[in-house]
Parts: sequence; structure tokens; C-alpha cells
Amino acid sequence: MSDTWPLRTRAGAAEDPVFVGVGELPSGRYPDRTFIGDLTAVALRALRDAQLKPRDIDTILLIPNLHSFSDQADLIFSRLVEELGLAGHAKASFMVHSGGSTSDNAVRVAGGLISSGHARAVLALQCERWGSADLAEMITMLSKNGIPGEWELPTGLQFNAIGALITRRYMHASGSSAADMAAVCVALRKWAQLNPNAMYLGKSLTVEQVLASRMVADPLHAMECPMLADGAAAFVMTSAENAARHGIGTMVRIAGSGGCVSHYSIGQEPDLAVLGWPTAAKRAYEQSGWGPRDAQLAEIYDSYAAVTAIALEGLGLAEKGEGARWFATHCVPGGRLPCNTNGGLLSAGHTGVGGGMALLIEGVRQLLRRAERSRQVEGCERCIIGGTGGSYMDAQVLLLERYLRGARA
Amino acid sequence: MSAPIVATFREGLSRGELLIQQCSDCGRPNMYPRYACPFCQSERLTWQRSKGRGTLHSFTILRAGAPAGFEKDLPYALGVVKLDEGVQLLARLLPDADGSWDGYTCDQLLEFAPPEASGPQRALCAWFRRAARA
Repeated sequence: MSDTWPLRTRAGAAEDPVFVGVGELPSGRYPDRTFIGDLTAVALRALRDAQLKPRDIDTILLIPNLHSFSDQADLIFSRLVEELGLAGHAKASFMVHSGGSTSDNAVRVAGGLISSGHARAVLALQCERWGSADLAEMITMLSKNGIPGEWELPTGLQFNAIGALITRRYMHASGSSAADMAAVCVALRKWAQLNPNAMYLGKSLTVEQVLASRMVADPLHAMECPMLADGAAAFVMTSAENAARHGIGTMVRIAGSGGCVSHYSIGQEPDLAVLGWPTAAKRAYEQSGWGPRDAQLAEIYDSYAAVTAIALEGLGLAEKGEGARWFATHCVPGGRLPCNTNGGLLSAGHTGVGGGMALLIEGVRQLLRRAERSRQVEGCERCIIGGTGGSYMDAQVLLLERYLRGARA
Repeated sequence: MSAPIVATFREGLSRGELLIQQCSDCGRPNMYPRYACPFCQSERLTWQRSKGRGTLHSFTILRAGAPAGFEKDLPYALGVVKLDEGVQLLARLLPDADGSWDGYTCDQLLEFAPPEASGPQRALCAWFRRAARA
């Protein structure tokens, strides 16, 4: 048995699944916005971007929130079908969930439904109210989800401690200093200054400020931990044939994907400085025929600097042990490999499951060349998307490429 | 009510024993305790007492944002411990005599610390301390 997954669709094929539009609302603290209101608004933005109408959508793929049990139930029971005027028309409405990597798996699900003919056009959407939610309910969800109740909950584990365990091991294995790790946060803040949707737009950051902030979970300082935010994002996928029928000329296709679920419990990960990234990357590169040098930008989950540094190394973008230093040097605006061009979770805002969604749609937006001019990566054709969920239980890699109607692969 | 595997593991801790499951068919140890052997899927699992020695893969000292019920424990240390038996777990770490964890580093040798009646340990999870010598 070979460990390969030959791609069953190809560029130019009628059934090839493609992104045709994205939508996003600003991330931050917006107590006056509402959950269903934001979902509706972001859906309409994505549809406008795609030049489609709600009735062009037959399948709604919902990405869960982590702020409220009752809002979760509303999603599962198809409220959005009614809100978007698709009652009696929509074929299916359902949820996919793998924590922070949900967006990557949603792309696989949508792509599979489209290429097999089970869906014509899929709207995937997400809203998180972490910035304004009921604090007690949110902390309960955050402290208990994704942690084995029998074995790890009794230790007093929580999310920053998980990030700290990964960061400590990464710093030990790589010889990265506290300043090296802080420099990743500073690089992300530079990108956020170019993104009108970023929570930290207009707020500068220095390595000295990061290192002077209080210690929250050694070795993590407060300013190295993500700020919880409200936010919403959406994307529309359909087949290349259906896109052409609607007169859409510019799209983004999936050249390949790879993944590796390396653990569930943080205490069961064999190497916290490696995680599932090398396996996921190998699988993605094999499926696509790409190598690490074939993309012009990357959007990689960054709830903590070490998470991204480890991914950069596993993806072969940076040398082993150099991930954090490489990011701060080469992934900045104007750098060799623009990364997390929206400011990432650490500076655009951590919108729960939406953090990965925001990075994904930023990658698609860049390839569609619809980002604001100051951060648009000139002439980009290919983008690496990296996601991870729960206690960094999985590494998910999507390799996306710009595709123009009529182009020959 | 706890599942039998949880109750057995915790009863071991309260007796001062760190228990590891062992498969009666393939013989391999496994942790955390499971309902079937993750290597050969046998459901004939028994328990062995760990020697309680291992190395510290990584650790942190949580200083803020404790989950409900742990607020009074702050600050407290958590570590991923790789046991000599070839399995690993997340555990709490006892501070050194000076009350700090300053002496802890990755890959250091640790030993299981059985709960003491007067100590801070709770019997629901395993606790470790720095081993006196290699």
C-alpha cells in the first residue's frame, strides 16, 4: 500500500472545484454586532465577491463557533437557510468541525461534494463572538473542549498552557531565544497595519514591549498570546464549469492537500517541536507535484509564534531550527515569502475556529488579487495554507493556485 | 461515576502507584488507559506499576487564567513526561524546596511523586519532581 492520494480532478476539468469569492467582517471587539447578523452580512459579502446570488447556492457548510452552545445549535439546525431566503431551495445545510483546522477540512468537503456532483455551489461561513461573548460560558468551552476529561483536565491544563508546552519544547530544540519568538509577533503586527479588518490595525509593537509584558505561562508573555476577537468570514466554491456558466473568469483551485492527525491529548504528542507537519507536507507535495519553493506566499495558523515556526520547518520553507528567526526575517511585508499577510491570529485577532478561516480566505483573496494594494503580493500564483486544530492535534496543508478560465494547465 | 479504567488509574494514584496498562496479547504498554490495545486492538488489558522514572519533554508554569477550580493553585507547573517504560503523560510538577521551578529544564530526569497527606497533590492526576540523581 503506497501512502499516496492521487488527485482525481485536474486544472481545466469541468468538475474541478474552485473558489470564486470570499467575504470578511473586521475582527475585534464589536459588542453591537450580532451572531446571525454577522453571518448574514458575511454571506452576502462573499456572494457579491463571487458575483453570485443566494439562489445560486445549494449547499451551506457551517463552521462552528466556540462562544455559545445555543448559537452552535442554531447553526446545526439550519437557521442560515432561512436567513438567506433559501428555504425550500437549499439541498443541504450542515456543520464540519475540527477546531482551528475546520476551514481546511471544509474545503476538502466542499471540493468533494462539488467534483462528485452532490453539490453545485457551496457557501462556507463562520462567525465567532469571542470578543464579546459571555465570559464564563466561553472559558468553560475553551477549557474543556479538546482536552481529555479523564486524563488531562484534572491537571489544570488550559489553552495558553498548551501553547506554552509547544513553545518551550520548540525553543529548547531550536535554540530560539525569547527575543526570536517575540520577533515573530512583531512581524505579524507589521502585516496587520496593512489590513483594514485586523484587530490591531494602528497599534504598533516592539520586541521590547513583548518581553516586558507579564509572564502568563512560561515561556509565554501576555503579548505572545492571541487576543480573542469577534469576527466572521465566508467563501464560495463551485465547479469550474458552473463558474464559467456564470461568467466568472478568475478562480482559485486546489492543487493538492495533505494532513496528519498526530495526537488528541497534548500529553501524547511524541515531539512537541515537530507535530504532524512533516507528514502533512509530504502528502500535500506528493499530491500536487509542488515543492516548498513553488509558492509565492503562505498563510499558516499562528495562535502562538512557535506553532507557525514549527509548521514553516515541517513544510520545508525554513531550515530545521530556523523557523522563528526565518519568519521574522523573510515573512514580513516585502520579504522573500510573505506569510500571514492579514496579520495572522496574533495581530488580526483570534476568532476561534475562524482564525484558520481568516488565513484561508486571505490566501484565496491574494490569489484572486483582491487584497488591498498595500499588502497584495504582486503576481502571486500559488499559496500554501497551513491549519491546525484543538491541542495542535493535526497539521493540515492546502496548496492553492490561481486559475483563469480558458487557461491550460 | 467513573469508568472502570479511570477508577483503577486513580485508585492507583491514591495508593502512591502510577499504573500503566499492558496488553495481554501483544505485551505492549499503553497510556493513557484505553478500552482496547491501540497496537493490536486486543481487549485483554492488564495493569503494571510504573517504575516512576522518566524525562521531561516540555513544561510550563501557569501564572494566570486557571480553569474553574484551579484558581487557588496558581502558579502551578505542568509537564509532558516520557516514562522509561516507553509511554508518556501530562502531569503536574512539584516545585523545588525553594518553592520555584527555576531548576527545571527540558530532557531532565524526573521521578513520580506519590501524594503525601500534607502535600499539595491531588490524587486525580500524576505528580512528578526532579530526580535526585541520574
